[in-house]
Amino acid sequence: MFRAFPTLLRIGLAEAVAYRAELVIWVLTATAPLISMFIWDRVAAEGPLGGWGQGEMARYFLLTLIVRHITSSWVVWELNENIRTGGLSPMLLRPMHPLVFFVAQNLAAMPLRAVILAPLMVGVLWWRPELVWTPEPWTLVLGLVSAVFAWAIAFSAQVIFGSLAFFSQQSLGLFNVYFGLWSLGSGYLFPLELAPDWLRQLLLWLPFRATLATPVELLAGLVAREDALGLIAAQLVWVGVFVGLAAMTWNLGVKRHEAVGA
Amino acid sequence: MSLGVSILALMRASLLTTMRYRANFIGEAAMAVAWAAWTTAPLFVVFDQAPTLAGWTAEEALAVVGFFIIAQGVLEALVDPNLRAVVEHVRQGTFDFVLLKPIDAQLYVSLHRTEPLKLVHCLVGAGVVAYAARAVDAGAVELLSATLLMLAGLTLLHSLWTVVVSSAFFFVKVDNLSWLIRAGLDAGRWPVSLYRGVVRFVLTFVLPIGLVTTYPALALRGELKPSAGLGALGFAVIFAGLARIAWTQSLRRYSSASS
Repeated sequence: MFRAFPTLLRIGLAEAVAYRAELVIWVLTATAPLISMFIWDRVAAEGPLGGWGQGEMARYFLLTLIVRHITSSWVVWELNENIRTGGLSPMLLRPMHPLVFFVAQNLAAMPLRAVILAPLMVGVLWWRPELVWTPEPWTLVLGLVSAVFAWAIAFSAQVIFGSLAFFSQQSLGLFNVYFGLWSLGSGYLFPLELAPDWLRQLLLWLPFRATLATPVELLAGLVAREDALGLIAAQLVWVGVFVGLAAMTWNLGVKRHEAVGA
Repeated sequence: MSLGVSILALMRASLLTTMRYRANFIGEAAMAVAWAAWTTAPLFVVFDQAPTLAGWTAEEALAVVGFFIIAQGVLEALVDPNLRAVVEHVRQGTFDFVLLKPIDAQLYVSLHRTEPLKLVHCLVGAGVVAYAARAVDAGAVELLSATLLMLAGLTLLHSLWTVVVSSAFFFVKVDNLSWLIRAGLDAGRWPVSLYRGVVRFVLTFVLPIGLVTTYPALALRGELKPSAGLGALGFAVIFAGLARIAWTQSLRRYSSASS
């Protein structure tokens, strides 16, 4: 499996390059943080909100856009399609886990996504140069570690909903519901710092923050040092829960998979 | 065959298709309410922090969201399914059969795959607008002008989609493009006056979602200048004309699947 992985990455990159026009469109459709950035910039212009000026807003939403894209995956649609059409059957015959293939496909597209995002980043920098900050080394390190955890949670969540396609025709609909809740609870549409109190209390018990807001706030230097480790620990718990659930739904699903050739 | 009869026949066909799955209605209605709540949630967070923003209060901005929900409903019911069907026709070569029908092709492709169920979203949006209208004390004149402007805005949206469909004759696979436009239109849930500079210009004149959602809301507040209102109406008519030209010109370039 480890010998095959570099080859899989090459295949994934070739795929991403081959469908580059579609990739551009997919990257540009997930630009909701930019809209939020314009709106919150306007709010911050009326007076700083608890220490968040226009610079902090722009920094927060730019990082939201970046983290969203480097932690994003689309395995839920891949699984759904392949389970429905029977495309999964040959993958199950290969001497490696199909999910390894999807992980490689996901990771290999990252560099290209970053390239597509670059002009947007330059644009935002040019629009609000005051967003620039000098990150402390510890926030940078913890932020990057946290981004890896965030990716693991997001990928596992998609595997869970993708595997539901083994059982139900409605798995994509369920995923859309999850995505809707996620976008409200993860800091994607508004900074959780500025959300009403009751929502913030509720979100302490939900996984959404760990998939986006935690790495973003760490990288942006908006987290106090004494809170940082707690946030990372919460992420680790959610990684465990989501990876466990993903493994369970996948294994249960494959057992009852009855497509042609399975 | 007169225009009215054709439109009725097309609507009836779509309605009959929908009625086969009438149990879906309850699900769709529930989704529409949930979706409306999801759409308005960020607004409450913003106005929790700033009671007025660029001259808009929460209730007034709620009217914008209401018109946005209506526009999304129309997109999902009328515009998007028809667009996807046309792209499929062009790709598979069945578009020839569309052209053979004794009816205006633009009218036919605009209505032949309507999903009336999605109009539930428009009802929910209308409810949001009604709530906002009560909050800002809108009178009959305001309601009427807001409705007119909303129709003008929807005409604009339809024209925009006609242009996208016309490009299908050149680029074939444009359904992804519709996702891109949808992402851009998402900016229309906020009053367009909250944006600045280039963004506001684009949202008013290029992807005219600002006209669809913000202008009717301004009219509801009675704060739209008559000149701006008439300008918007004129813009819609001109845009529809341009879309018609784009459509006929591209049709001329269409080399059918069989020739």
